Amino acid sequence: MKNIIIIEKYYLIQAGIEALVQEIPGLTLLKSYSGDEPHLTDIILKHKPELLIINPFSLSSENASLPRKIHSTKNMKIIALVQKKDHDQLSSGYDEILFYEDGKFELEKKLRRQAGNCQNPENFHKELSQREITILKLIVKGLTHQEIADKLFLSIHTVNTHRKNINKKLGIKTVSGLSVYAIMNHLIQMEELSDRM
Amino acid sequence: MLIHENMKLADVVHHDHTLVPIINRFGIHLGFGDDNITEICRKHQLNIDFFVTILNAFHDTHYFPKEQLRNFPAVMIIDYLQKAHAYFLEDKLPEISALINKMASEYPLDKTTSNLISNFFTGYSAELKKHILREEEKVYPYVLQLEKAVSENYVDEKLRKQISDYPISEFEAEHENVEEKLFDLKNILIKYLPEPKNDKPGYQVLRELFTLEKELNEHARIEDLILVPKVKVMEETLKNREH
Repeated sequence: MKNIIIIEKYYLIQAGIEALVQEIPGLTLLKSYSGDEPHLTDIILKHKPELLIINPFSLSSENASLPRKIHSTKNMKIIALVQKKDHDQLSSGYDEILFYEDGKFELEKKLRRQAGNCQNPENFHKELSQREITILKLIVKGLTHQEIADKLFLSIHTVNTHRKNINKKLGIKTVSGLSVYAIMNHLIQMEELSDRM
Repeated sequence: MLIHENMKLADVVHHDHTLVPIINRFGIHLGFGDDNITEICRKHQLNIDFFVTILNAFHDTHYFPKEQLRNFPAVMIIDYLQKAHAYFLEDKLPEISALINKMASEYPLDKTTSNLISNFFTGYSAELKKHILREEEKVYPYVLQLEKAVSENYVDEKLRKQISDYPISEFEAEHENVEEKLFDLKNILIKYLPEPKNDKPGYQVLRELFTLEKELNEHARIEDLILVPKVKVMEETLKNREH
């Protein structure tokens, strides 16, 4: 799931983009702002959405520096939302531009492109790797990430990354959810489960 | 749509039937006839503004109550929230749990695996219950103390300490894991269970889970819109009074 935030002043446009975003699988709308909220830059940096749709002309003067401040943020795709007549005044550095004048499927195509772009290519393989299966088994047996790292001679950082990828590939985040998965796929026996469920 | 007190409650329900459980929480039950909201509230001795604000907060994610609609008495807000909690704990969770047990028998699963799924939901229920009890045992008494302190213009040492050490913003942060479990359960059902003998029970459970998720989100929104801002204002007032 990619989180998305929308900044657009006009309710009608905001509601339209929200409706569109909600139709695209894999995108979760976190929140919409109208652009005049105090400390909006901080709010965005705190939420760290993978995608930000922003109409830079919606921003109040206090927030005017927001696009510049977030352009260098890693792993955040920044999508401008403007009218065609304002295209010339738009600064560079946006990953995509949505126009008010675009049709539904054009908008959808652009959004899908960006939603796909920030996806880690390896996650297109939904199957767990051998390494991930090994780690999954240890997780559901109740080992902590540190214990797994020690056992497999890995850094804790590597184990964390594997865990994140497992969660992402399976769409399951909790240990008890992973346990159900592991049992159903005969990766582990019932008796081996941690009782921390 | 913005709901207002001159509308007939029946029209409101025609427009959004998911409001029925909320209306019930106020002691209003189906069969309320053709009266408008004001008339019904008078009959049931309810605060009209509060009733309308709660309905709107549920009905429309864009709704944001005006200043004067964010300062209802804490007792009133808490009374409502507790009724909502009872709805989740006493009605919804047992209902879904029974559906899940029934569903498990429709899948070609051995006993241990189907138990696993039932237990998973039991685990989820326990966690949600823990979260709710923490609110009722820790947060609400705190809110009531704050309100008393504001009205009496006196803060004792213990309350003063809690305002600085463990304000409402700390409580706010701890929702997450409960939501994750619900998310996992949906995915297990959608993606990973083997093909069932009968399609209906799975769909029924899934529909209930999506509804529960929506209702919990709406409930959290009520807390965020009506309770939390009020508490923050009281905390600030009392903090400033110290100096």
